[in-house]
Amino acid sequence: MSNLEKRFEIRYGAVGGQGIITAGALLVDIVVHKENGYALESPTYTATVRGGPTKVDVILSNKPILFPQATAIDFFVCTYQVPFDLYKSRLRDDAIVVVDSHLVTDLGDTRSWKLHSIPIINETKKQLGNVILTSVVTLSLTQKLTGVIQYRNMVDFIRQWAPADFLELNMEAIELGRSLV
Amino acid sequence: MGKRRKVLQGNIIVARAAIDAGCNFFAGYPITPSSEIAQYMSREMPKLGRDFIQMEDEIASLGACIGASLAGRKVLTATSGPGFSLMQEHLGMGVMAEIPLVIVNVMRGGPSTGLPTKPSQSDVMQTRWGTHGDHPIIVLTPAFASELYSETVRAFNLSERFWNPVILLYDEVLAKAHEDIELPYKKDLEIYKEKVHKIKDLDIYDREIGQNPHRVDFFKGYPIHIDGLEHDKHGWPTSEPGTVQKQQTLRMQKIYHYLDDIIKYNEYYMDDAEILVFAFGVSARAALPAVEMARELGIRAGLFQPLTLWPFPKQILRQRFSRIKKVLTVELNMGQVRYEMERVASDDVEKRALLRANGIPFTPGEVLDQIKEF
Repeated sequence: MSNLEKRFEIRYGAVGGQGIITAGALLVDIVVHKENGYALESPTYTATVRGGPTKVDVILSNKPILFPQATAIDFFVCTYQVPFDLYKSRLRDDAIVVVDSHLVTDLGDTRSWKLHSIPIINETKKQLGNVILTSVVTLSLTQKLTGVIQYRNMVDFIRQWAPADFLELNMEAIELGRSLV
Repeated sequence: MGKRRKVLQGNIIVARAAIDAGCNFFAGYPITPSSEIAQYMSREMPKLGRDFIQMEDEIASLGACIGASLAGRKVLTATSGPGFSLMQEHLGMGVMAEIPLVIVNVMRGGPSTGLPTKPSQSDVMQTRWGTHGDHPIIVLTPAFASELYSETVRAFNLSERFWNPVILLYDEVLAKAHEDIELPYKKDLEIYKEKVHKIKDLDIYDREIGQNPHRVDFFKGYPIHIDGLEHDKHGWPTSEPGTVQKQQTLRMQKIYHYLDDIIKYNEYYMDDAEILVFAFGVSARAALPAVEMARELGIRAGLFQPLTLWPFPKQILRQRFSRIKKVLTVELNMGQVRYEMERVASDDVEKRALLRANGIPFTPGEVLDQIKEF
């Protein structure tokens, strides 16, 4: 197990199609298959999945996970205003919060959050040419900011997971995620 | 960790377990939040030379399962809310004619179309009494990923062993969560196989109390009569009071003779518990960490988590209540198990319930608050 000593809760919020649900699935796979940790992912799955506000809760632990939903979120990434407003409940006062600086502009009370406001979507489009890579960009910035998985394990997993033709682009996505934060 | 460690959605765990248990016929009508089971079966069953049929509705789905089961298949259907309501008539047929059936009901908010995408635990009494008439039923309630697998296998075993419908009952949260699970190897599974009786007469319902009807080879030249009407030992309709009463008793007792083989539960921190928390499914997954937090505060709480919800684990609970005088029932409905608890626990046991039916599961903190107040 990497750096996990206790339950760690992550929430990704977005609009459907931004690739954020995939980021959650990738993270769970890496924790389970590369780090021998325990992981669980609860995605939203309503009609809103296609174009509407959507979220995925990812729970990681060094022991079997009992309660399957997020209750005190340690790390929140959100790339759109509506899901930000909808899903910012249950954040810890000292949560690490990453928002897209263009698309989430009304933050309200930021409590004692460690806030990172960065142009995730724009930079992904500009530097990688495809918004779908937001998933790997998000995964990578999660790795860097939280350390819940090891960098090496993330890279190994993405190498196995990415289609050969897109491997290079996915590696660039990892680097972009790291450079943004 | 073994090679069989996977990350799978709850519904997919159930579908895989069904296939591993030997399910070779699925008929269903996809409905949220159970749809992935039908989806998975539609893809995987044909690859194995097994049958998948999407029917026109849930009534037909269970009807097709009844026919296939009579023909010797191990059958599964999966549904939710309104679909389960539509299945009630055929569920009764399954009990009356004594047909092994496994029915998955993934609970969503109701009544009617209700809250299709939100969890609920409000079909507790419908699984028990949804079909009309006196009848035995077996309902299993897994809470953890490994239990979604093991209880699916057990559902098939119990339905085969007791010739009765078995309902696997869980909620939308468990259905939709993707969790890590160490899948067992098929060779390690205990699969019940009923012997086929080579009888030459028609008396398939001729047995002693506590026994099943005779399983026969259908379509092998024996004229067999299967009927939803009350029937005699040959399966022919009858209203002769003595026979009717006997058949009612036979159907009940083939299950209630064997409660020890059917009733399964987990107990956590119960040895010295002063408060018994009773919770199943997603509520048990909130109650267990709540109990652990209570222990850290020096409160002696314990969790009773039924894996068999019906028949209700009455005897074992009564034993526990000879010592424990406080019970907190946690359920995502307006109060269903709580009434069973009032029946089971004597007057000197203080009974409270934590209830909610708005589509939001209880958190461990909310359960802990109730334990602290008790």
